[in-house]
Amino acid sequence: MARMKFLCDAERCIECNACVTACKNEHEVQWGINRRRVVTINDGEPNEKSISVACMHCTDAPCAAVCPVDIFYTTEDGVVLHNKDACIGCGYCLFACPFGAPQFPQDGAFGERGKMDKCTFCGGGPEEDNSPAERAKYGRNRLAEGKLPLCAEMCSTKALLAGDANEVSDIFRERVVARGSNRGAWGQNLQFNPLGGTRR
Amino acid sequence: MIAISRGSAALAWLIRLAAIAMALSMLPSMAVAATDPAKPPGDPVANYWREVRQGVPGLSQVDGAESGVLINAAGQQWREQRNGPLKRYGAMILLAMLGIIVLFYLVRGPMRLSAPPTGRKIQRFTPFERFVHWGTAITFILMGLTGLAVLFGRSVLGPLIGSGGLGGLLGLGKLVHNYLGPVFLAFTILLILVFLRDNVWAKCDAQWIARAGGMFSSGDHIPSGRFNFGEKAWFWLGVTFLGLFVAGTGLLLDFPALIDRTRELMQNLVLLHAIGAVLLLAMSLGHIYMATLGVEGAMESMKTGEVDETWAKEHHELWYEETKAGRSSHM
Repeated sequence: MARMKFLCDAERCIECNACVTACKNEHEVQWGINRRRVVTINDGEPNEKSISVACMHCTDAPCAAVCPVDIFYTTEDGVVLHNKDACIGCGYCLFACPFGAPQFPQDGAFGERGKMDKCTFCGGGPEEDNSPAERAKYGRNRLAEGKLPLCAEMCSTKALLAGDANEVSDIFRERVVARGSNRGAWGQNLQFNPLGGTRR
Repeated sequence: MIAISRGSAALAWLIRLAAIAMALSMLPSMAVAATDPAKPPGDPVANYWREVRQGVPGLSQVDGAESGVLINAAGQQWREQRNGPLKRYGAMILLAMLGIIVLFYLVRGPMRLSAPPTGRKIQRFTPFERFVHWGTAITFILMGLTGLAVLFGRSVLGPLIGSGGLGGLLGLGKLVHNYLGPVFLAFTILLILVFLRDNVWAKCDAQWIARAGGMFSSGDHIPSGRFNFGEKAWFWLGVTFLGLFVAGTGLLLDFPALIDRTRELMQNLVLLHAIGAVLLLAMSLGHIYMATLGVEGAMESMKTGEVDETWAKEHHELWYEETKAGRSSHM
């Protein structure tokens, strides 16, 4: 069995937000919710970095640990999915999540939290694969079709990688060898390092 | 709870308490907190990842609360505190209180009247006082049960009814808890106002404390006013302090769409709310025991508003004398 992982290469991400848009379109995610987002640190400064982030499908997921109704489960591929039918919209998964992945639509009077929505690694939910019910609640189940998450598939700079952890590591390892550094900032260091471009 | 946990855990709790005070004071300015213009020297890449770990917000085109924060480092800590000490010590406190009450009941038994009832009734609570009391009591019990279900439901009921059952139960429970919360706060404030003047310190309270209210010695009679010191302690510590604290933190947690609150503030509020609620529930068990099984005739007073003269004389002698003399301001 595969062990699914995302990896975002901060050296390659150009903050085009295409992953955000592709995800939203593929799964017809409801208004006001983005399962993925791009964050830029040091925007407009020499060492600007962007990174695309969504649910990272943790092994020991904090969301699953704090959920009062125990709706989370991990698939054989290591994808963390949830059962929206039982979700009560308490928001605890969002408080515990390191990546801000769980999103809540506003629902009912006084804009209470509705049922939680998050990245499924394009893996749907507990319903039958690609059934209308699954499609409506969780979006498309690409994994069941033998496809990988669309955000990574269509990333123009291949900054965002998704797939079996071993294969993702192999790709990144090649890049590290080519760059001569696993810190992923080789080019930036050369140009902007105040010490005079020493490669460290 | 702090005292029995290990040193490092106690420190973490203290830091949380300090953090919430800070977070509350900085609430409006938080969104615009900028990075320090004088950046520390060093490897820019290392600095970048350090900032990410520290939760320094970046820029995101996605709208939303804290969407620029890549890593919410406090989440794991909150998880450990909630699933660890909060649940463990919370359950221990509540079970210990239940155990003490059962033991007290078995050893001491209910406090019965020593003289036969006279059959003459005097009014102890007005209809409005009873309305406020029962309004608070019913909302409190519903809040307590639904709140306990959120904290312990998964461990206790989960194996019995499964995730789907929990979802149905807590889906309704959350609605009840969130909407009844403000009602409970309103009733609590009314309750405090209604009973405030009878819960001030009186000379006879010192005697009550010295003899532990006669709880451990049958036949020991301690005169007291309309409320004895035990009731006053419940009024101040339980209803007023813990009641307002729990209802207040609950109100700050309520209605997430109306005000944007940071995750860290919500985490701290959930912990404080739960600690307060566990202590309040533990105290309330004592009050409920005294009112139902513990003291003969106590339940009747809040149910009908009237008590027998013998009961009044034996439990609240000073109040009885005042009432008989027509000096009581209540009737």
